[in-house]
Amino acid sequence: MLFSVFINNFHDYVIRGYNLNIAVLIKQVPDTDDVVWTQNNNIDRTNMESIMNPVDKQAIEAALRIKELNNANVVTLTMGPKKALDILKESIAMGVDDAFLLCDSKFAGSDTLATSKILTKAIETLFPDVRLIICGQSASDGETGQTGPCCGARLNVPCLDNVNEILEITDEYIIVSSQYERVQTVYKVLLPALICINNFIFPPRIPKIAGYIKSQKYDYKVYNMYDINILEDDAGLKGSPTYVSSVYRCEDTRNGKIIVYNQDNLNEIYDEIKKVVYGT
Amino acid sequence: MEPNGILIFAQLDEKYNVTSVTEELLSKARKLKEKIWNQRIMTCVIGPRMNYEEIINNLSLYGCDEVVIVNDDRLKEYNKTYYSEIFVRIAKKYPPRIILIGATKEGKEIAAYTSTKLETGLTADCTDLDIGENNLLLSTRPTFGGKLTANILCKTFPQMATVQQNVFKAEKIYDGNINVIFEWENLDTIENKIEIINKSKNNFSFNDITKSEIIVAGGNGACKENGFALIYELAQKLNASIAGSRIAFEKGYITKSQQVGQTGKIVAPKVYIAIGISGADQHLTGIKNSGKIIAVNKDKNAPIFKYADVGIVGDLFTILPELINRFNIDKEEQNEQ
Repeated sequence: MLFSVFINNFHDYVIRGYNLNIAVLIKQVPDTDDVVWTQNNNIDRTNMESIMNPVDKQAIEAALRIKELNNANVVTLTMGPKKALDILKESIAMGVDDAFLLCDSKFAGSDTLATSKILTKAIETLFPDVRLIICGQSASDGETGQTGPCCGARLNVPCLDNVNEILEITDEYIIVSSQYERVQTVYKVLLPALICINNFIFPPRIPKIAGYIKSQKYDYKVYNMYDINILEDDAGLKGSPTYVSSVYRCEDTRNGKIIVYNQDNLNEIYDEIKKVVYGT
Repeated sequence: MEPNGILIFAQLDEKYNVTSVTEELLSKARKLKEKIWNQRIMTCVIGPRMNYEEIINNLSLYGCDEVVIVNDDRLKEYNKTYYSEIFVRIAKKYPPRIILIGATKEGKEIAAYTSTKLETGLTADCTDLDIGENNLLLSTRPTFGGKLTANILCKTFPQMATVQQNVFKAEKIYDGNINVIFEWENLDTIENKIEIINKSKNNFSFNDITKSEIIVAGGNGACKENGFALIYELAQKLNASIAGSRIAFEKGYITKSQQVGQTGKIVAPKVYIAIGISGADQHLTGIKNSGKIIAVNKDKNAPIFKYADVGIVGDLFTILPELINRFNIDKEEQNEQ
């Protein structure tokens, strides 16, 4: 009797779990929120911190919400330098089952096309039975919002963006709600599929102590280009059709009037604003 | 076939009129065409079976040389799977040197799909386009979290770029001479795995910031305590619309449609008041067409001061309450008179 209960549960777990392999694609970004400007208008990069792209935490939260109801297997995947292990640690602490780092000096300098090729190859090689791929809508550093959709196109799976709510998931399909500006749309999509999360209705969870301890001891898997069948010509600068020819600071300037506020010059400031706004 | 010309995805609105971003791209394409020899400007229109005369006239008015129309009643409404695949097929049939697409939600979806299927480079949300070395497309866009600006080239064809509305100016020409091609695509060969179950539009009203005369916008500096409450109050006194930077949107103080900048809205009010905004390039791109810019920031090195007509260095949490107070006093005096 006991045995059969065990079998049933086990069976159930295998079926549900096997069919719901979820991969979350995450990215480490510089913390551009707290940029310190030097006097000649450059960025002070010396003390710049690296963080997990904020909306990627929402993507992990979405995956973990699905896992709670479905016994899914959730893995995170990132491409980056060794330092990017930090964000994988964070994801393990939040509660994902496994975490993978794609790390190779040949990957450096990859643009959207090369990055999506590397990520897609990794997914195909490491998780051939993945049913759902979740990304953040866009990275706060590049902010093109194209890498996720490009992976979807390359994997030949349907792709939806601006997903803020997951309404239903089964072995065959997922129903999600997507909000863009004032339009809210509910979609039913056949799996496997890729979704990009934005403004997810549940805030990302804060890791518990047990998760944190697990993340410190966890054996993170690191793969290079050969492990995921990437050719040298497909990655990095070689595999990237676009390249930056120059970088500069936006240079138009209005040479306006600068007033430093002190307790006594509020009248001056007020008059100046009124002059600009009302022309008097 | 040797890649030739500039292909533009012609976006239509709900009433099947050509959108302004399409007109803007056509006008820019005409300027690019002057710099590269012997190229044509082509548009691709996707829609239901109907009369396309007005659309064709309008495209021609903005300098389009050739239009490819794919029509089917299943294309009455935008459908990501069909639209993206059809656009790829057209781009393969008439291989262009350059593809330009408006950076709307639909445009971005089509652009990502197309660049992958054509194995080519894509520069998203460009703030300027030009022709650079070797007659290549030179795309400009903010980089590094929008703090810097980069010029980007692409070594594969077609070279793809997306551009937001209001970045370029639409200019009519009147010697339009347009070649019309109707193409038939077999939709049955496209497998559609996405089904729309429900679509709703919330109708709560807020000002369209692209049409506002005065805008008060908050940035990272205002994203704490009662920062945005002060901004709302000041905006009320000035009869202004409320907007914000990308960080304000990410932190939930404003909606996406109130976000100003490269990936938000490009605005052109008479007066733009930036409160606690440091002035990253991606934000500046969105406000450079403003008449006058007033900035309040406590960091005297903040780049916004270089772009402001009036810059006030100081803590917004001290200055704003005092300013609001002054507006109140002024109003009372006016009422007494």
